[in-house]
Amino acid sequence: MYESPIREVLVTGGKTYTDVSNDICRPLENKPTKAWWFGFIISALVLGLWLGATTYTLMTGIGTWGLNKTVGWAFDITNFVFWVGIGHAGTLISAILLLFRQKWRMSINRSAEAMTIFAVICAASFIVSHMGRPWVAYWPIPLPNAFGSLWVNFNSPLVWDVFAISTYFSVSLVFWYLGLIPDIATIRDRATTKMRKFAYGFFAMGWNGSTKTWNRYELVSLILAGISTPLVLSVHTIVSMDFATSVIPGWHTTIFPPYFVAGAIFSGFGMVLTLLVIGRVVLKQEDYITMGHLDAMCKVVMLTGSMVGLAYITEFFIAWYSGVEYEQYAFINRATGPYAWAYWIMMSCNLIAPQVFWTKWARSTPWFIFLLSIIVNIGMWFERFVIIVTSLHRDYITSSWAMYTPTITEFSILLGSFGLFFTLYFLFCRYLPTINMAEIKAILPKNHDHHSNGHAHSGAFVNEKGAIVNEK
Amino acid sequence: MKNNNKLILGIYDDADKALVSARLLKKSGFDVDDVYTPFPIHGMEKALGIKRSRLAVAAFIFAMTGMVTAVTMMVYMSWGDDWMIDVGGKPNLHIPNYIPVTFELSILFTAFGMVATFFIVSRMAHGKNAELMHPRQTDDRIVIAVNLKNESENKAISDMFISNGALEVREREVTQ
Repeated sequence: MYESPIREVLVTGGKTYTDVSNDICRPLENKPTKAWWFGFIISALVLGLWLGATTYTLMTGIGTWGLNKTVGWAFDITNFVFWVGIGHAGTLISAILLLFRQKWRMSINRSAEAMTIFAVICAASFIVSHMGRPWVAYWPIPLPNAFGSLWVNFNSPLVWDVFAISTYFSVSLVFWYLGLIPDIATIRDRATTKMRKFAYGFFAMGWNGSTKTWNRYELVSLILAGISTPLVLSVHTIVSMDFATSVIPGWHTTIFPPYFVAGAIFSGFGMVLTLLVIGRVVLKQEDYITMGHLDAMCKVVMLTGSMVGLAYITEFFIAWYSGVEYEQYAFINRATGPYAWAYWIMMSCNLIAPQVFWTKWARSTPWFIFLLSIIVNIGMWFERFVIIVTSLHRDYITSSWAMYTPTITEFSILLGSFGLFFTLYFLFCRYLPTINMAEIKAILPKNHDHHSNGHAHSGAFVNEKGAIVNEK
Repeated sequence: MKNNNKLILGIYDDADKALVSARLLKKSGFDVDDVYTPFPIHGMEKALGIKRSRLAVAAFIFAMTGMVTAVTMMVYMSWGDDWMIDVGGKPNLHIPNYIPVTFELSILFTAFGMVATFFIVSRMAHGKNAELMHPRQTDDRIVIAVNLKNESENKAISDMFISNGALEVREREVTQ
């Protein structure tokens, strides 16, 4: 268990196994703090807004929204794609970074995966509410039926999406739960009340940390990571095909799948940063989620932001190069038409703003990272709005051109969905360990036992950074 | 655990020491039953001689099951049934369009099938009581459990535990 002193240590503060359990279990073994109550109550109030606005929509119909005969998809699908995209960072961190053996993922994967699950719940709520008749929401599922066995159309990307999103949600949930089992067992064995012992014991499934079980467990995790990696790429590819397989100018482009996947990772990391820059301070986890973690995530944001920016420019170029006048108009209209403000918000938030992360200062200043992460979230929401609304509002026939203005109901549902997301997130912080304790214990720097025998550091003094110092 | 009903437990707080001890015990011919750890210790499975799990084979079989299910379902529904779906005269048996659903169902079957198999072979179930050797084995203690083949080994094992940095040595009767 020798770790190279050249690499930055992943956990600082000279933690022992006991410290890890104590630190990570503190928020869930003690009474909730004032900060938790404050955040939870605000989120629950905003969730109330979501409940009200969604109920109103379901009772009255989507006539409560600003849609018209030309713009038939707007806030609903924008929000859906936005939330699905947010979820992608969780799977990227837990699956793709696992395959690449990036150990820095270990302290952030639990909360990022939780974020994935909550974001997909938000996304699914928009799918149901935009259907108009949500009580027949089960129709896209191929069930035997009374319509002379009229099955779903497997040529439609909307049907693919039903399979993709439901597979993504359930596989992410299984992956997350599997990762939680050893930690739930830890909480069970630390429990001081009967109720806790019973509740956590129920979900720990009799876990006792046997090496035989760990051996199988690690293989299962690896295979789950292996299948989640193409899964996460397929999900946003299929989401992009909802648009790309149509014949609407501005949607009918082959660049959509990679462009959507890059955008999803970009927005997802934006949200992870938003949560963790605050969370690491409030939950006192600065030793686990170090500046090194923030730095790495900022670099991912910068890379994916640039990829998205490249896609914007490529799209523009291809529209001109194709010689198709409808396609050309769609892009000219985006940049200079009535929704140009949205287009330029998107451009500046997604392409220009993340470029500041080239400087070390920007990557190591938490308040600035937080600010940038909010800008990224805003930019990526506008990207979907631009793609959906500006492409639809002026297509082939000028007589059918129209403008779209969202109603207060739609704004309430959008704002409210953040309430849903954060309420779930606060409950998660209260009842489950936000950092994977088992994985963290396995990567602790060995600075607490520099005198151990048969060890690579034998006889040497190891300083706090994990580097070997020969003289004391 | 079949021959005798007594385990000697060595309790450690250091992964490296536990690993060295487990290797030594195994090499000295003692019957190391299992090692209980709060986190996976790499090399421990090799020290105990645990073979690579065949769960990967199970995963592959589940993936193939998912694939066959998806293709059969789609072919039957859009082609083999009474009511053929005609969408703008497009072909009904259109292989490229079947790829997404086939892929997703393969993944779904793999994930659920493999995890369920893992729970079954590891004898894990919701609400099951954990059999713990030490109350802190999921927290910060590592427990090496050695099967006592006959009472004469007792001292040799205990000595080996102590000389390799065990915090304490315990005995445990196994009722089976």
